[in-house]
Amino acid sequence: MSRAGETVWEVFARKEYSEPLHHVGTVTEDDEDLAVVSARAIYDEQPWIHMIIVPRASIREAISA
Amino acid sequence: MSTVRLDPPTATMISLIGSLADNKSALGRRYGEWAVSAPTIESAVAAAAMAQDELGHARSTYPVLAKLGVERSEEPGLDAGHPMFVIAEELPDWASVIAANLVVDGVLTTFVATARESSIEPLAHRARKILQEEGAHRVHAEAWARRIARAGGSDLELLVRRVDEMWAQAARWPGPDSDPGYCEAIAAGMVSGGPLAIRDRVRDWLYPQVGGVSLDEPTDWSDWDPQRRQ
Repeated sequence: MSRAGETVWEVFARKEYSEPLHHVGTVTEDDEDLAVVSARAIYDEQPWIHMIIVPRASIREAISA
Repeated sequence: MSTVRLDPPTATMISLIGSLADNKSALGRRYGEWAVSAPTIESAVAAAAMAQDELGHARSTYPVLAKLGVERSEEPGLDAGHPMFVIAEELPDWASVIAANLVVDGVLTTFVATARESSIEPLAHRARKILQEEGAHRVHAEAWARRIARAGGSDLELLVRRVDEMWAQAARWPGPDSDPGYCEAIAAGMVSGGPLAIRDRVRDWLYPQVGGVSLDEPTDWSDWDPQRRQ
């Protein structure tokens, strides 16, 4: 559930650059910098070497069965 | 705790490093208490992460005192030492947490930055590690200040009041700029900047973050305790 007026960010990470990025979860923040801090704090259970966040609203579906 | 060497610069550094650890321990406790009460789950997790960082910094900073001849009979507990009064007890509201994040964390981290190339090698090593982790604290503080500024009204008024309350004590933590021990510590390469430089750097950073704050320069040092740094 998202909070009204706030952006949902999809979080992707990987442990090796030879691996693809995996979806690891979401964070809900209206501030981009806070979203980065939150993503790093929440999804810290693995020794990630790369993590990105993407606004859910920016994702475009290529297939939707 | 006992001290072996007590020349003025060493005594000043012992006071600064010991108090830095005391305040980081207290700050960690205060952040940790809000890990279950923050406004959002994301903020709660960030508060918990910052608490973990601060407690780790405290734990790793106390041993630096040994390099300066301080012998400790035992490891200090979580409530040890003499932290600033403004973070000695549970913080009353989220605005206080953000004010502590901005002001107390800001002053301590700015001091740590002056020790990045310290002639006290274990301190320099600790400083570089601490500064890496404090980057996220700074981002957190700036982002929450922006959020509260956007909200305006009573939220912003409370933050401004809390920032000035925290500043009234945190600004005194480095001490008077004319402190002879501090001046000698700078000359010896133990730190690269003095109290006034620390206050100026924090002030220059804080003014754009929170409009309307006073951040006055402390003037009355008559009751200042150089051991407790308050």
